[in-house]
Amino acid sequence: MQSAPITYLDHAAATPVANFVVAAMQPYLTDQFYNPSSPYAPAIRVRHDYETAKAEIAAVLGVKPDELVMTAGATESINLIITSVSGHVVTSSIEHQAVLAAAATHEHTFVQPDANGSINPESITQALRPDTVLVSIALANNELGTIQSLKDIAMALEAERERRRIAHEPMPLYFHTDASQCAGLLDLHVSRLGVDALTLNAGKVYGPKQVGLLWAANYVRLQPVVVGGGQERGIRSGTENVAGTIGFAKALTVADQHRKAEAARLHQLRDTLRARLEQAFPWAVISGNPKKQLPNFLHISFPGLDAERLLFALETMGVLVATGSACAANKGTRSHVLTAIGMPPEVADGSLRISLGKLTDQAAVDRAADCIISVVRAESQRVGNL
Amino acid sequence: MTRVYVGMSGGVDSSVTAALLVEQGYDVTGVYMKNWSQDLPGLKCPWADDLADAKRVAVQLGIDFKVFDFEQQYRDKVVQYMIDEYKLGRTPNPDIMCNQEVKFKLFLDTALEDGADMIATGHYARVDHGEPVRATPQNRVFPIGIGDGGNDFEEQHAHAHLLLAADEAKDQTYFLYRVTGEALQKTLFPLGDYAKAQVRDMARTRGLWTATKKESMGVCFVGQVGMRDFLAQYVQSQPGDIVDTTTNKAIGRHDGAIFYTLGQRHGLEVGGGLPYYVVGKNMDKNEVYVSQNMNDGAMWKNELTLTGLHWINKPAANGEPLRARLRHRGKLLPASLSGATLQLVEPERAAAAGQSAVLYRGNECLGGGIVA
Repeated sequence: MQSAPITYLDHAAATPVANFVVAAMQPYLTDQFYNPSSPYAPAIRVRHDYETAKAEIAAVLGVKPDELVMTAGATESINLIITSVSGHVVTSSIEHQAVLAAAATHEHTFVQPDANGSINPESITQALRPDTVLVSIALANNELGTIQSLKDIAMALEAERERRRIAHEPMPLYFHTDASQCAGLLDLHVSRLGVDALTLNAGKVYGPKQVGLLWAANYVRLQPVVVGGGQERGIRSGTENVAGTIGFAKALTVADQHRKAEAARLHQLRDTLRARLEQAFPWAVISGNPKKQLPNFLHISFPGLDAERLLFALETMGVLVATGSACAANKGTRSHVLTAIGMPPEVADGSLRISLGKLTDQAAVDRAADCIISVVRAESQRVGNL
Repeated sequence: MTRVYVGMSGGVDSSVTAALLVEQGYDVTGVYMKNWSQDLPGLKCPWADDLADAKRVAVQLGIDFKVFDFEQQYRDKVVQYMIDEYKLGRTPNPDIMCNQEVKFKLFLDTALEDGADMIATGHYARVDHGEPVRATPQNRVFPIGIGDGGNDFEEQHAHAHLLLAADEAKDQTYFLYRVTGEALQKTLFPLGDYAKAQVRDMARTRGLWTATKKESMGVCFVGQVGMRDFLAQYVQSQPGDIVDTTTNKAIGRHDGAIFYTLGQRHGLEVGGGLPYYVVGKNMDKNEVYVSQNMNDGAMWKNELTLTGLHWINKPAANGEPLRARLRHRGKLLPASLSGATLQLVEPERAAAAGQSAVLYRGNECLGGGIVA
């Protein structure tokens, strides 16, 4: 059925595993298959390589390797940090479903973003209670691409910690971020972000799926979700995913090395695409925070049109985009993110999330723009919108 | 231009139905009927995927697409009916009920209200619309949904006739015998002239997304868990005896008589030797009766009492030679009707109570009744 060449514009959902990542992983799937916990020399070498990979990841984050817990993806990482704490949890209403669902198992407050999807640090301060133990805010929103001012939120939390110190209240207050959308695009050094815990996902940075991590500072006490053989310091039992972790390390370090150049390249391509669409459809609505947005994200709404129809029509031309977050689309329900930023239903229902990446070049952007313009024109005519 | 609303399930048949109507020059709107959305434990009816597939095809064809939410009505009219029937010890057919209550009543009414002139579905059956009916003040609005069928209609209204599909192996008139003549008057079955293989070919040559999609089997909301597990959620059942009617001795235990149906061979869990067949059950005593004798009198009958007789147009005459079908894709058996008694020329493996006997005159499906 699918004869058109693929123009992939959904890097926020999944990224292809880079060839050099596959090459780095390959030996550990075949010859070097040993269980890193086994006592013989070849297995000890595998353990060493596994630890080295974790150290490489740790260096990107500016943390100690033994503060990392490898998990099967970001969702598990998020569950691990949120289920580890007991007390009130503050997060925002535009977080990923994993954060919302895990937070809902605690007493919780969901703060509201502004119309750009930005979380005001002041609203976090207002949501804090004496028993608040954790604040979790994604570094960038996975639907709009809006980057949050984590540093400002961290300062607000520091003020609350100071108050507790003076009042001799022993309740800790931790700050967690899910940075899965940002690897290879933003600086992930945790001291500069000002967080105590961070989630990452290999599958969004040209590494394998079902590989992720939780970094938590040594003063954050984690409670295992998966118990057993005591791997990962007893926090996450199960034989180590050696190949996955080595692939993750390779993918992350390379992406981080080329981060600035790649971010600039994507920024320019994204702006080109946006300019063409804005010119063709002055009535389209561009969302997100123009001053603080991931360089590869374009969230555009065509009020009155049905985004799913646009998606299916683009699909036949080989152009692959998202309608809001993938999970929301699958359930046939309106995006909770767009609802939270106050987007009217007729605008939200015509929304496309376009995310660029390694597979995107100038030719891809030109082709995507041509296809989107023709499809939006055709649909507008069909519904009598023009 | 005639406006046709096509029920699109996300399967290949309804996709081709929509494509053919577009090619024939109709003004076509695709409609997905949302009938059931309860996620069963560990499994779910893949309605979201089916909806996406239907919509994808609508976009491919460049037609409008709507979703009609019939969840509540479907639950009341089809699911509840099915559960109630099982509780009474009968074996109902929810597909027949779905056509009667949902597709050719609710969907038809909703579509007409929404501006449609006709509806279409991907059923393998044919409609003879006869002479075109001129819209007059008397016949423009059909009182669909009033009464239990088209029997009390004025004779001068030309009603459509339901005919067997050209592909007799795929014929679905068995499921359609409870619709009304006036509903059929507003209905198109574009696949009625084609064989299933041709329909797949047409989907493929048109590049339709659903061309290679697997056939859905059974009732959507039951299909994946199986009827027993589905019913177990809604009815309390007690274990009871399985009794061999030749020896009159209990030879095993069952976990609820409602789960058993006449003629059933498998799942009895009484081992050894020849297979046992269910030849009857007593709901009050919660007993299931079985026999190893395939020729047991309870299983072969040439007389069946029918209830809830329904005629698409005029009733058949008493004693008129007809053909009867006791199950979907079952043989067309020489028969006649006298009052509510169906006389079969040759004895036939009996249909369970709650199943339907559908009656034909030549190629025309006249209606039928439910086995008492």
